[in-house]
Amino acid sequence: MRIKMVIAISFILCFFSSLALSQEVRVGALQDTTGATSDVGKDEALGVREATQYFNDTGGINGKRIRLFQYDYGYRVPEAITTYKRFRDYDKVVMVLGWGTGDTEALSPTINADKMPYLSSSFSGHLCDPKKTPYNFVYGTDYSTNARGAITYWFEEVWKKDPKWKELRDKGTKPKFVCFIDTASPYATAPIKAIKDQATILGFDIGPDQNVSLFALDTKSQVIAAKGFGANLVWHGNTTMSVSAAVKDASALGLGADHIVNNWGFDENLPKLGGPAAEGVIGLLGCALFIDEYPAKSRVIEYAKKLNPGIPLENRLIRTVQGWVKVGMAVEAMKKADKAGKLNGPGIKDAFETFKDWPGLKEYGGQLVTLTPTDHRYSSIVRVARVIKGKPQTIGEIDMKAKFPDRWAGWLGW
Amino acid sequence: MSYRPCGNYHQYYKQDHAWWQTKFVWGKMILLFIAVFYLFPQFAGMYLISIANVVGYTILSAMGVQLLIGYCGQVTLGHAAFLAMGAYTCTLLMLQLHIPYPIAMVMGGIVGGLWSVLFGLPSARVKGFYLIMTTMAAQFLTVEFFITQYVSQIGGRGVAFSIPPGAVKIGPWMIKDDKDVYYLMVILVVLLTVIMANLVRSKIGRAWIAIRDNDIAAETMGVNIVLYKLLAFFVAGFFGGIAGAFWVTSLAAVSPEHFHFGWSLWLVGVILIGGVGSIHGTIFGALFMTLIPEGLKFLIFVLTQNPVFVDIMPFLPLLLEKFLFVKEAAFGLAIALFLIYEPNGISYRWWQIKNYFNLWPFSY
Repeated sequence: MRIKMVIAISFILCFFSSLALSQEVRVGALQDTTGATSDVGKDEALGVREATQYFNDTGGINGKRIRLFQYDYGYRVPEAITTYKRFRDYDKVVMVLGWGTGDTEALSPTINADKMPYLSSSFSGHLCDPKKTPYNFVYGTDYSTNARGAITYWFEEVWKKDPKWKELRDKGTKPKFVCFIDTASPYATAPIKAIKDQATILGFDIGPDQNVSLFALDTKSQVIAAKGFGANLVWHGNTTMSVSAAVKDASALGLGADHIVNNWGFDENLPKLGGPAAEGVIGLLGCALFIDEYPAKSRVIEYAKKLNPGIPLENRLIRTVQGWVKVGMAVEAMKKADKAGKLNGPGIKDAFETFKDWPGLKEYGGQLVTLTPTDHRYSSIVRVARVIKGKPQTIGEIDMKAKFPDRWAGWLGW
Repeated sequence: MSYRPCGNYHQYYKQDHAWWQTKFVWGKMILLFIAVFYLFPQFAGMYLISIANVVGYTILSAMGVQLLIGYCGQVTLGHAAFLAMGAYTCTLLMLQLHIPYPIAMVMGGIVGGLWSVLFGLPSARVKGFYLIMTTMAAQFLTVEFFITQYVSQIGGRGVAFSIPPGAVKIGPWMIKDDKDVYYLMVILVVLLTVIMANLVRSKIGRAWIAIRDNDIAAETMGVNIVLYKLLAFFVAGFFGGIAGAFWVTSLAAVSPEHFHFGWSLWLVGVILIGGVGSIHGTIFGALFMTLIPEGLKFLIFVLTQNPVFVDIMPFLPLLLEKFLFVKEAAFGLAIALFLIYEPNGISYRWWQIKNYFNLWPFSY
């Protein structure tokens, strides 16, 4: 009798647990927490996990719990591919939160064939043209727009106004511009064509690219080459560790140029690693810094303390907030798709493409998001910041669509 | 089981050289072919097929390394460069000149081979550590400089090239999903294995082995060591080029990041684990180096995602953050243990097991 009861209870439990499982939405997340970009990837992974927990605690996807399959692929493209295929075939996820430019671009044809929405931490401009990559989405202003905006801002607000450049300005010298990038990294090289195009539009003199590894600890030869060219402005396309090494070497060798850093190289760690050499460095921000004031700050801090109490808050970075932005945008699309009764790849893609001035990311210091079936660029607004007194601070925003209305459409997919 | 009876020798060279000498071996191989060509793709599911494709890619990539290091004694740490040359040649020929995939693939192999000969030239004068340095130069000059700076820019595409759907086809057969890629992979692995196995038992192979064992002695016996070394580099580069061209079909995209220095080192690891100087070793090594990390990934997912395990052991989710090194360390430990306890590689252990059963019950 007792055995029969145990069997009956087991069946009932199995039935209810399967019901519970059917009420979950599976999402895959590729992270780099041990590889070449782990300096920024670790913190983003924490943000993704904490945000998922928050959205689950507040109702998930219209009552369905999000089940997050998060995995570190160590920035190895083959491992990203097998993990993606595991997500697709074994875990049966409805969408993927991706990471690097190399693996996102490599997977792009596959995800299009699979109709798998892919919200990536790579904001490569190549991923924003739905004609080529209909299932790729980004959660920040794309690298190319950012790069164009940053050098435009520098040209107008620094080169034309800063007393540092007065002498050269008065002589009518063209600003000399150099890129410090890991030339083998698709992330670093993604916006180079666009930034050089913009530099040409602005009338810069463009010098030879300097190859700086993502792992670089010493960049003296590159700095000396840039100094030989007489660079006034350096674009840093790598992540924080490599950028801080380059900025320090530039300071030590008296390069004298201004620095602009892409968004994955500019965060709270840059002044910590770069020290006084990082003072005045200009960078791009996709959302609020962890330490900034933004409407969702209390929530972000609460979940950081609750889920990862061992990590001191002073060590947290903007990357945590970016994790929240990423999950927040994905959750909104999945909720819309679910409401429309199409919680699947094409349904989520369609839901993303209905975003029109969506204000959800303003809570995290993000931009109003507009996506259309013909344009997946998240926003045209570029947020520029600068390290002032050892802390990155927003100094301005530039709307590239408003500034270059005739060129904006043609820049899609650069 | 029909073993060859003791004391009954072959009468003809043809019999002596046959790959499969008994009916039992024939039966075994037919079963293997049925499993590989029919049962596995039919029942394995797309995830396992995609892993098999990575195993196949690793075998194809490591075959040339096995030839150079295992059979000719020429250490190489830049093999990813030849893969990259093959991949980019194939892609560019398809995209820019619209050449059919099979021809583009063979051209990729030839360009990979010639490129390899170029970096094999120093082997005429240097060996050992010095040759390692020159092959490393191949890696950095080719991938970091030549491909990234120049080849990738052809057609204004930037770094990553995407292959449009439907571009990869062999006659009427369109390679469109993982299953098609799998069949292509199996055909290529069988073809390259047959070519390699026949080469190493020919005059050329014997010359390579002589050079590996003692190049001075080989030269005194009349082996033209420069010619044969360069031939080894060509064949290895050709295999590499074919592997690179295959990778293009698997991903429908190509980027210099796929051919970094770590992949060159990884391929040397594959043959060290599998067994240096053994074709089986290449296959076993590729299986080990792909399946162990995949198995560890599976384990991590089970341990961190299953609520039952997490309830019993609440610290398990830490495997995803604070103890990330556990997976990497377990993989490293597996390699180290292999090198300590089975320095001749998995193929040697396979040979021992086979012998044990062949001689059973008189295995002493």
